[in-house]
This record gives sequence, C-alpha cells and structure tokens, in this order.
Amino acid sequence: MSATTANPGRLDPEIRANKGKGKSSDRVLLAVIGYTLLTILALFCIFPFILIISSSLTEESSIIEHGFKIVPTQFSLEAYSILFKYPADMLKAYGVTISVTLIGTAVGLFLTSMTAYVLSRKDFKWRNHFSFFFFFTTLFSGGLVPWYLLIVNYLDLKDTLVVLIVPMLMNVFYIIVMKSFMSSIPEAITESAKIDGASDFLIFLKLIIPLSKPALATIGLFIALAYWNDWYHALLFISKSELMPLQYYLYRLLGNMDGMRKAMMQSGVAMNLDIPTESLKMAMTIVATGPILIAYPFIQRFFVQGLTIGAVKG
Amino acid sequence: MLATLLGACGGDKNAAENGASNVDKGNGGVRSAEVTDEIDLSKEVKLKMLLVGGKPVDYEEVFGELNKLLKEKINATVEAEFLDWSDWTQKYPLKFAANEDFDLVYTANWAFYNDQAIRGGFLELTEDMLAKYTPKTWEALPKAAWEQAKVSGKVYMVPQNSNEVVDKVVLIREDLRQKYNLDPVNSPETYAAYLKTIAVNEKGVGAFGAKPGDGWKWHELDEVLLEQQNNWKVVDPNVPFAFQMDDPAGNVFNVYDTPEFAELLKYYKDLVDNGAWSKNIISYKNDIWQDMKAGKIASYAHNLGTVAINMSEARRDKPEYEMAIADLTPDKMKSAAVSTQNGMAIHATSKNPERALMLIDLLQNDKEIHDLTMYGIVGKHYEPVGDDQFTPGPSSTNYTGFSNWGWNSLLNRTDTTYPKEADEMLNQWQEKVYHYPLETFVFDDSQVKNEVSNIGNVMLRYAIPLEYGLIQDIKKGQAELIKQLQAAGIDKVGAEMQSQVDAFLAAQKE
Amino acid sequence: MKNYRFFSDLKKYRALLLMLTPAVLFFLLFAYIPMAGIVLAFKQFNYQGGIFGSPWNGLENFRFFMESGDAWRVTRNTALYNIAFIIINNLLQIVTAILLFEVAGKWFRKVTQTVLFLPYFISWVVVGAIAYNLFNYDVGTLNVMLSSIGLGPVDIYNTAAYWPLILIVVSAWKALGYGSIMYLAAITSIDTEMYEAAEIDGANIFQRILKITVPNIMPTVIILFLLAIGNIFRGDFGMFYNMVGNNGLLFSSTDVIDTYVFRSLTTSNEIGMSAAAGFYQSILGFATILLANYAVRKYDKDRALF
Repeated sequence: MSATTANPGRLDPEIRANKGKGKSSDRVLLAVIGYTLLTILALFCIFPFILIISSSLTEESSIIEHGFKIVPTQFSLEAYSILFKYPADMLKAYGVTISVTLIGTAVGLFLTSMTAYVLSRKDFKWRNHFSFFFFFTTLFSGGLVPWYLLIVNYLDLKDTLVVLIVPMLMNVFYIIVMKSFMSSIPEAITESAKIDGASDFLIFLKLIIPLSKPALATIGLFIALAYWNDWYHALLFISKSELMPLQYYLYRLLGNMDGMRKAMMQSGVAMNLDIPTESLKMAMTIVATGPILIAYPFIQRFFVQGLTIGAVKG
Repeated sequence: MLATLLGACGGDKNAAENGASNVDKGNGGVRSAEVTDEIDLSKEVKLKMLLVGGKPVDYEEVFGELNKLLKEKINATVEAEFLDWSDWTQKYPLKFAANEDFDLVYTANWAFYNDQAIRGGFLELTEDMLAKYTPKTWEALPKAAWEQAKVSGKVYMVPQNSNEVVDKVVLIREDLRQKYNLDPVNSPETYAAYLKTIAVNEKGVGAFGAKPGDGWKWHELDEVLLEQQNNWKVVDPNVPFAFQMDDPAGNVFNVYDTPEFAELLKYYKDLVDNGAWSKNIISYKNDIWQDMKAGKIASYAHNLGTVAINMSEARRDKPEYEMAIADLTPDKMKSAAVSTQNGMAIHATSKNPERALMLIDLLQNDKEIHDLTMYGIVGKHYEPVGDDQFTPGPSSTNYTGFSNWGWNSLLNRTDTTYPKEADEMLNQWQEKVYHYPLETFVFDDSQVKNEVSNIGNVMLRYAIPLEYGLIQDIKKGQAELIKQLQAAGIDKVGAEMQSQVDAFLAAQKE
Repeated sequence: MKNYRFFSDLKKYRALLLMLTPAVLFFLLFAYIPMAGIVLAFKQFNYQGGIFGSPWNGLENFRFFMESGDAWRVTRNTALYNIAFIIINNLLQIVTAILLFEVAGKWFRKVTQTVLFLPYFISWVVVGAIAYNLFNYDVGTLNVMLSSIGLGPVDIYNTAAYWPLILIVVSAWKALGYGSIMYLAAITSIDTEMYEAAEIDGANIFQRILKITVPNIMPTVIILFLLAIGNIFRGDFGMFYNMVGNNGLLFSSTDVIDTYVFRSLTTSNEIGMSAAAGFYQSILGFATILLANYAVRKYDKDRALF
C-alpha cells in the first residue's frame, strides 16, 4: 500500500465494474469465467439448502422411507408445529438472541476495533508484546473446569444475560484481522492529525473508524454471527427458560430426544418416544437461519454504503 | 445426635470440602454415641435435587403437590433442577467440580456413578444412616442391591428397587414370518432363517436394523447370542471380559479369544453375506424403531421393556403390521436387573443429608408420593387402575421424560396397554432367575484408566466392523483384533480384574 | 536510566495504553486466570482437592494417548487435514472474492453472495445427515445415479480412501461464503488510484488482478495463515464427528486428535486426561507458530503476528 497519498480514493465496486463494461476482450473473458464459476459454486451451496427446506416440510415416515427429496413427497407441517408448540417460549428465545446479538455486536465491535487500532500503530513500541499477550490465549487454555468455576463461583454470572454477552465480547482472531486491515491505512493520516493536536482516542474515533468501514462491516458481521449462533454459553450457564437464546432452545429440543433414547437404553427404562427427528432437524435449520437470511441483504447494503461514505470522508 | 453432627459438617464449608474423611468421623461419632430414635424435624429445610432430563411442563404443579405432602411428613420442601438430556454429560461433573449447592442427585452405573463416587462427589451412606433415615427402603431393598451399590466397599447411592429381568429379546414381524411359513423364532438358528428369508424376498425391507454408530462397543445381538446363549456375563461393557455365570472360581476371560466368539463371527458373516443388514450399518443415522414402524426393517434387538412398549405403540399406530417378541435363548439362565442402573445419591457437601435421605425413602416407598412423582396428578396425567396399573391421562406428556427412574420401586405401576405376552414372558423368566456368586461384583477401573480408554477405542475400531461382517477375512480380523487389544494393554486389565474378582469371592466366603 | 525511559514511554503512550486496558483486563480475567487449570493435566482430579489440592500424578494422564501407538497417526492426520483446509479453502475464497468483486451484475452479485453463505448456517449434524443420504450404499442418491447410467455402486462408508477428498470438499463448501467476505473486504479497501494507474499503463484485467489485487491482499492472507497455523493440531470436532462418527473402518484416514480423545474418554470422563490431550495440542501448536512467525518476520517484519 502506498503511503504517499493521504486520499485513499475508494469506489463503489458497482461503479468501477460498470466503467469497464463491454470494453475489451479480457473483461469479457473474466466475466465468462466469473459467471460460470460463481454459478457452479452457488448451485453447490443452494442445493443442500433446498433439500433441507423440502425435508422440513415432509412427513417423517416419508423421509424414513424415501430419504430427503428436492420436492416433498408427503407434505406435512408437523415439524414446525412441534417447534412452535409453545410460541411464547419461541418468541422469547428470539428476543433473547436478538438483544444479545445487538448489544454484544455493538460493544464487541467497538472494543475490538479500539484494541486493533492500538496494535496497528507502528509507533507504539510495545505493540508486539501486547499482540503476543493476546495471541497466546488462543494457544493455551485451562479447559472447561476452571473457566466454569470462575464464571459461576467467582463472578456469579449464572443465569444472567451478562454471561451470554461478556465472555464473547472479544476474540483474538477478530482483533488481529482488524489490526491487519487497519495497518493498511496510511500513516500520513494519523501523522497530520497529530500535528493538529488531536488525541489518540479522537484520531481513532473520528478518522480511523470512518476509514475502516469495510473491515468494521466484516468483523461486525462475524461478531454478530458468533452471538447469533452461540448455544454453548447458554448450555453451561443458563437454566432459566426466560433467558434461553434461540439456538440453545432448538439444540435442547433435538438433543433431548437423542439423549433420552440413549439413556433409556442404558437405564433399562422403557418409555414411549414418538418424535419426528429427521424433519425436525431440518425445520430447526430453517427457523434458526431464516431471520439472518432476511437480514443479510440489508447488511450487504451496509457494506456498500460504508464504502462510499468512507470514500467521501477520506 | 447424628443429625447435629452431620449438620455441623455440612455447615462448615472447610470441613465439608473434606467430604470423605468427614463422613468417617461422623460415623465414628455415631457408633460411640447412643443412637436415639428421635429425629429432629423442628427446623424446616429446603432441599435441592438434581435430576437428568428436560423439565416437565407441569413441574410446578406436581412438585407443588409434592411439597405439601413433604411439609407435612418431614417438614421439608424440595426444588428440582433439570439437566437436559442433550447436555447432562457435560454439566453433571461441572456441578460437582464447582461444588454447587444441591442435596440429592440422580445417579446410575451408566451415568458415571463409580467415577463420581471415587472422586468424592457423593456422601458415603452408612448402614446406620440408611437404617435410621431410609427405614422403609432399608427393609424393602434386597441385600444384593446394596452390595451392587458399593464402590470399594462403601455405599454411595440408594439404588432402585426393581426385580425386573433385563435379558434382551428381538422384535420380529409376525405377519412376514407367517407369509413365508417359517418356524417360530426361538433360537439363533430359527432367527437366522427368518432374517435371511426376509432379506432375500422382501424388496425394500432390511431384515435387521441396528445403530452401532451410537458408541456402543458390541454388536447389538451380542448380549443375546454371546452372553445369554453361553450363560456368560460381561463384567463391564467397556472391556471385553466375561465369566461363566455358574463358575464358582469366577475366572474372567477375553470374550474375543474364545471359540464361541469365532463361531458367532461365522454366524454374523453368513447373515451379512445374505444381506440381512445394510452394508453401511456402522454409519447408520436414523432411529431404528422409527424404521421398524415405517416398515423399513423387520427386526431389531432391545431389552424386553422397551420392545414391549414399542410393540404396543405399533398396535395403536400400525395395526397392519403384526409384531411379535422373540426370546432367542428361552432355556438359558436368566439374570436379575442390576439395581444400580438407576438410583439417587446425596451430594458430598449437602447441608441436610438426613432430610435428603428421608426424602428418598418417601419417593421410593411411600405409595402416595411415589405415585405422584412417577405418574403425576390423577385425572390429569394418569388414571390409576387397581394398585399396580395405570392408563395415561389427557396431558400425560406434560409430566414425563426425566429421571424419576431414580426411585423406581416395587410400587411402580405398569401401563394397561403393556402387551400381555411381554408380561407372561417376564413371569416365566422370573422363575428361571439364576443368582450367581459374582452378581454384585463391580469392576473398579481406576488403576487401569489408560488401558480401559485404549481398549474401548480398539473395540470401536476393530471389533465393531468385524462383528458386523464388514471385514472379509474374519479369521484374520479376529487375530488383528486380539493383537490390537494386546497392544492396548488388555492383559494388565485382565489381571487387575481377576485379582479384584478373587478378592471379592474370598471376602464372600468369610 | 532504563527505568526513567520506561516511565517516559508510559507517559508517552498513556492514551494508547488506556485504550488497551479493557482488552487486557478481559483476557486476563477470561483467559489467563483460568489458564491455571493446565495443572489438571498433571493431576488426579478429585472434588475435595479441586484444581490445586488434588494429588499430582506426573505424566500418568498422558499415558493413554502416548502408549496407544495411535498418537503419531492422529497427530499426522490432524496436521495434514488442517494444511489441506488452509491452502484449499483460502485459495477458493480468494478466487471467489476477486470474481465477486469483478463481475458486473448487481443482482447476480448480491444473490450469489447470499447463496454462498448458506452452508455456513447448516449445522454439522444436518450436514452429516445429508451426506449419509447422498453417499450410503443401498439407497444413496449417488449410487442411484451411478446405477442409472449403468455404473456399479461405490461403497463410500466402508472405504477409507474416499474420505480425505470428501472432507476437504465439505470443509471448503462450508467455509466459502464466510471466508470470502473477509477477502472481499480486503479487496474493497484497495486504493482505486492504483487500478486507474494500471489501466492507463495498458495492463489487461488479469495482469491488474495479479499485479495489484493479489499483492494488496497478501497482508490479510499472511495474517489468516498465521492465525490458522497456531491451531493446526486442533481438529474440527463437529465436522469429523458428524461426518464420520464411530465408523472404525474409516479411522485410518479420518481420525484426528480431537475425535480420538473424545472416543477414549467417553466412558471415563476423566478431566485430567482431557486436559493432558489439550496440553499436548497446545505445545505442538505453540512450537509451530513460533517457527512460522519467525519465518514471516525474516521476510517482512511488519507482517509478523508478534
């Protein structure tokens, strides 16, 4: 990255792509390769998802007899009716997940980028020491027991919303990726601001954040997905049903059946279990993914928007 | 006296953390002091109980009723915490490690009873304590049940009281058997004939279904065709050692290194070569019972109780299929259930162990409380039929699915839809129950943990594919299995087990 | 003198240090304090003693792994799989990101990007179920298709040789959307003036990609590579377990440290033994990352992790 320019002109990819449209043969060739390859990859990715949607709408006995099919052989909404048997619980679970995701992403993204910024400052003498301090935690961990003890006995966070948010606020992976993005911002920008007497924190807030929009959007998305998909913290620390996030709610629904079958076999206890596990698994995927898929196009827009604002600002 | 002593131990946190040694002190105190029959109930206590399973929807209602009764009888109330089936194996040990506050806990031989006891998670239950605080249970439970509950000579759980015979049977499709004019299925040979005929003639139907990928280290027919057929008993399903039930010397041997096993391998190979089960059986992911109900498979093996319940479900939902229970080893010795398959223990640091024990006594042997906690509320969750049967009520599904099995007892009721033939079979078995010297022996693997881990891995990797006939040359496969077990340290485990068995038998003679 | 220097630095960097404080405290609390639990690898855990009071038992907890004779095999498998995943997944993600960036259609790009993200949301349990549905011998979609064109069936679940390929494809498939977003962000951060300059110089689009896009995303590539290297001895348990399960016939080519340890410990549930296995993975990962970081430092000091 050249450090000579203080004005990293960034352009909406749409404008850029349109500029070269129909211009020369190399572009045509790239377009052919691009469309073909992406279409093939997209088909690979969408095919299993269609199977899942279709199976979630199929009668369980029909799945057992014929396997998963692209079109439901015997239409049934049973799996969904089991999932939504207690609609209030389900809505509550959505509510918990959405609030945890929103709060966690906002706070987490701010802390992550602030930390990343300091580590990206080449004039900060101890940046490598601190990087190592953070990175080391990804290699060594004390395991589940001490961590559980800390959170339950010393921090007393069991059955709180906090326990779903705080332990996931920062992740070394995100910090380091963010740092790598930020180190490509020309030093000249911070230099000149410094001469104007701006403090480090203000530089971060007013200059770096706007310039890092693509990185913020990416890492923000990752943080949000991590919160959205998390069930493990709930598994360990949440027993009150009103604090259960969506993924854990679903995980329990399915896991309970599998777990009970095994337990019954070993304990010698006989019980009647008649649950459509196959179609339920599939319906769970849809229920958990649906909201994200609906929200994703808006996040994508935010991507593009972020870039253009960044360009103007810079 | 005991109450105050134990109370003091539980109350003092530091002392409580020293669980095991403390209990000994407690006992000493009891033995030297006069045991008075008066139990001090003046202080109301709130007990916490850890159960495995999903919290039942109508928990508040049923336990509300329970607490009214408990208040009256032992001046206590109880609150249960439920560890879901989906994740209890992860959470259960953590609750102990963090020394969370609970008094009673579900336990079972398959739910790490031995490990938790050795690690000091449970309070030792002495005879004095049991006689005093669980008098009805102390009386009702056979001596052998308490013996089974011993871990290195000490009792840590109040086991269930169940005289059921746990032998395995197979469920077959009677309509298909008659369609092909096959002999009644009552032996390994007639069963093989049934499986092969179905495999050849019924398109789209698998003859035998199993889900070995679940982690079980044996062929699902081994308990029938290897253990029951030869009157063997496998000591611990995690290692391949067995003894002859009527062998007074209690010699343990490696099951895989016997002519009987070699013969059985041929039997299995013949079945798989005739297409009796899917080639991909080890990776099979569906639920076997659902398959059977859908008509996709024609037989599977399970314990009698489960098979019977499934059969009554099929009678309701799939009347077009006629099913039958087949005992492949009708003339062999039958063995009684292991009492530690379900039970309740007291947390090592419980502050109210006496009251907790009294609660277990009531749960297991007080008719009113047993009925309430096992089946819920009359008219809502169940309807009693006579003294020992019931029919499910309109919202029976709102109070089920968790381990109230911990206090199974002779007061248990049976579902009226439970198939008659299963009952008859059970009654016949009861007469043939054979009590053998090693009936209550439990293997303590703490000295050979590493070897047991490795052996389990070898069984999954070499024994399962071999038994399901996926290895072409069974002779070579068997030799390889034995070789791998040797490398994993099977001899050391065998020697350790034999010495424990010898010590156990010697102690019995005294 | 030295001390004086330190305090003046402290003063100079006080704003930056203050900004680092939340993160430092966070990792101290949630990572470094519980790290004391590593001692469990050398202890025979019991509830009375807890983490620090339980008796030491030397290397006893490592014995199940080291003496089994499988340690080398599963360690090698773990590392080879991860190397394959790192190379193939990243290459595919980079190509996809570049193509997504360069193709014209706005709708096409949006739809593709969303679709590529779908596999990320499918849990491994469901992926395992779908794979079984596709690959099983008797009624699997693949064998039905093969037989309809007159070819014999393939017995995938009993043949270890197919599995490295299957696992690599599945891993690439699942990570594609997620990973390419990172590279897309890196590409959109590239200064457009460079592109314009290249165009004026008469470079065609392929030259431009090779000469400008690729070098400019190299820092991201290197960082992601280094981050992945530290975890090269940790297998993705969810993936391996749900795809392969307890199928012993496939272990020779699919067993990784994590699945092996899981199977070994399901019956004993021994905390010390799992701590020992984790410690083994940490030590190996630590050694590898030190080497890799050293190599990167030699090549370009600024690109190193620390």
